Amino acid sequence: MMIRVKLIANYREALPPEAKNGVVELNVPAGTTVYDAISRFDIPLNDESVIVLNGLTVDMDTPLKEGDMVTAFSAIAGG
Amino acid sequence: MYGWHLRILRVNLTTRKVTTEDVDPKIARDYLGGRGWAIHYMYKEMDPSVDPLSPENMLIFATGPLTATPAPTGNRYMVVTKSPLTGALAHSNSGGEFPTWMKRTGFDMFIFEGKASEPVYVLVNEDQIEVKSAAHVWGKDTHETTDILKAETSTEARVACIGPAGENLALMAAIMNDKHRAAARSGVGAVMGSKNLKAVVAMGNKNPPLHDPEGMRSISVETSKNVGADVKKGSNMRIYGTSYVPQVTNTLGILPTRNFLQGTFEHVHNIDGDALKDNYLIRHTPCYRCPLSCGRLTEVPDGPYKGKGEGPEYETISSLGTGCGVSNLAALVKANYLCNEYGMDTITTGMTIAVAMEMYEKGYISEDVIGMPLKFGDHDAMIEMIKLMAHNKGFGKDLAMGSYRLAEKYGHPELAVTTRKQEFPGYDPRGSQGMGLLYATSNKGASHMEGDVAYEEVFGVPVKENPLTTEGKPELVKHFQDSFALIDSSGLCVFVAIRYVFDKNRMIWPETLAAMMNLTTGAGYTPEEVMKAADRVYTLERMFLIKAGSGPEWDVLPYRMLHEPLPDGPAKGMVAELDKMLPEFYEKRGWDEKGYPTKEKLMELGLPLN
Ligand code: SF4
Repeated sequence: MMIRVKLIANYREALPPEAKNGVVELNVPAGTTVYDAISRFDIPLNDESVIVLNGLTVDMDTPLKEGDMVTAFSAIAGG
Repeated sequence: MYGWHLRILRVNLTTRKVTTEDVDPKIARDYLGGRGWAIHYMYKEMDPSVDPLSPENMLIFATGPLTATPAPTGNRYMVVTKSPLTGALAHSNSGGEFPTWMKRTGFDMFIFEGKASEPVYVLVNEDQIEVKSAAHVWGKDTHETTDILKAETSTEARVACIGPAGENLALMAAIMNDKHRAAARSGVGAVMGSKNLKAVVAMGNKNPPLHDPEGMRSISVETSKNVGADVKKGSNMRIYGTSYVPQVTNTLGILPTRNFLQGTFEHVHNIDGDALKDNYLIRHTPCYRCPLSCGRLTEVPDGPYKGKGEGPEYETISSLGTGCGVSNLAALVKANYLCNEYGMDTITTGMTIAVAMEMYEKGYISEDVIGMPLKFGDHDAMIEMIKLMAHNKGFGKDLAMGSYRLAEKYGHPELAVTTRKQEFPGYDPRGSQGMGLLYATSNKGASHMEGDVAYEEVFGVPVKENPLTTEGKPELVKHFQDSFALIDSSGLCVFVAIRYVFDKNRMIWPETLAAMMNLTTGAGYTPEEVMKAADRVYTLERMFLIKAGSGPEWDVLPYRMLHEPLPDGPAKGMVAELDKMLPEFYEKRGWDEKGYPTKEKLMELGLPLN
């Protein structure tokens, strides 16, 4: 299924060149979770990042559906 | 005494009499400095019911104990007065260099009273204080004024001044310092204009001694290193300033768009931090002694919007940009420059124009009245409106009253998105519930700078809270309000000082900030004591509001937030659920069920009972 991953601001550097406006489309197998999708990218997977699914706060093991968008950005205080 | 000078300068502009006075060390300790000292003096000396634009209003510039110390971002001052926009309290914060230079005059605080019979500026060069004619700079913008006054005083001086907007008493007038930094909100510039006070020029070399200079040096080096480590990792604040935030709030569906008719903006990529960085960024500009350096010098090199200046910041992008449906970045950057030059708060300016645009599109205000079409997205009309507002001309006279009065005058008060008559900043509370409670109860009217729970609801700092829920938000809002009152009183910048009010377990526990205050002042504060002092400051401000006629009956949210669900984005279908949070919030604050501080609370804080 096709999903999208969006990385904001400084995290955009972790995107492949084909990304457009900070968004990349991925073909992932059914059962892929938020964590699986975001861990493909070189960004901190701890409290330093905010990760949301379709703009909503969810558990990282939430399974994805066709067309979902996972977004991540840096959560460092003051920046 | 250490850290504080314990000296106040008082200038009566009517009589031109200048006096200095000492501050009682107990008052200094109990009210911390900056915002805290200011409300203590205002509450003690001024009738809260005075007309904000009358000579009876006090205009206070206040530094904190950490201003002009080695503490990273110890570069702030507060402007405190009664607001002509809200009728409540104004407390606007600014950095740059002026506040440090102000503290070096040998005074912690300047109080301006009365009204000069003609335009003046006040020069404070340590104990040499002069009230001088400003006839030659009246009418000039903030940049010209700064250059002229530095040329005729000293290159070592720093200037805070108003532009045409303040002179013309526009209710969104700001006080600009060092050209690009603004004590922006609540019309503080109009108060300065009403006193015929064009500028304050500060210089000197009198720093108060530090209680423990070596300890202060090492804590400052350590905290600077922490900020430096984040900058190395690629801090967004260093790279983008706050201009990266539109992408975040757009993702969460809380980006004010077209006067809050929507929570997402389809052209956000045209005006976000990346577009700004790729097209107009020249370099970063720090406030004095700031390791984060979030300011940015920008330039539109050619074309109709040619210009050079600083910014825009997020709040400008979400008001003059998305708020007005504007997607032309060059025009938006130009609008920001104009606001700085005319001395205007971009939030109230942008959101007032946004209301006018909605009223025009709905046929509530005609093209004849405005003098031109004023559709959402019309960036040239927006720029024209800014010019009219600053100069109090034509339809600009209506706009200069702010959106609350504008919407009321033309018969549609439901379109103004304000609390206590002040325009919302860039987080739609229908999708960030804690922010709704904050706006509704803020002592200065809607503001993120009075307890920005967006740190948790939006940015995950220090922990991520779900923005769509109301549980736990009353306590969170109370803690953030107190933390911000503490930071504003200390003389630090929130962007960096937010780190100093949380402990390692990410709980509010201002150990680092209390340590800095102790090393500076020797006052022996514990973290509990500084939080209690912040509560004291916040509660005394509330008492001022009650006496000013801006009490609990104003703890409300505007119609759109309560009755028009967000039509788009992740928070689609939601409204702000204020009634679920307000009673618990009052209880957490130690206020009664109607929103009045209880006698017990006032006694606990050592505040006057009436
Ligand atoms: S973080 Fe930004 S606003 Fe705050 S002191 Fe530093 S440069 Fe100034």
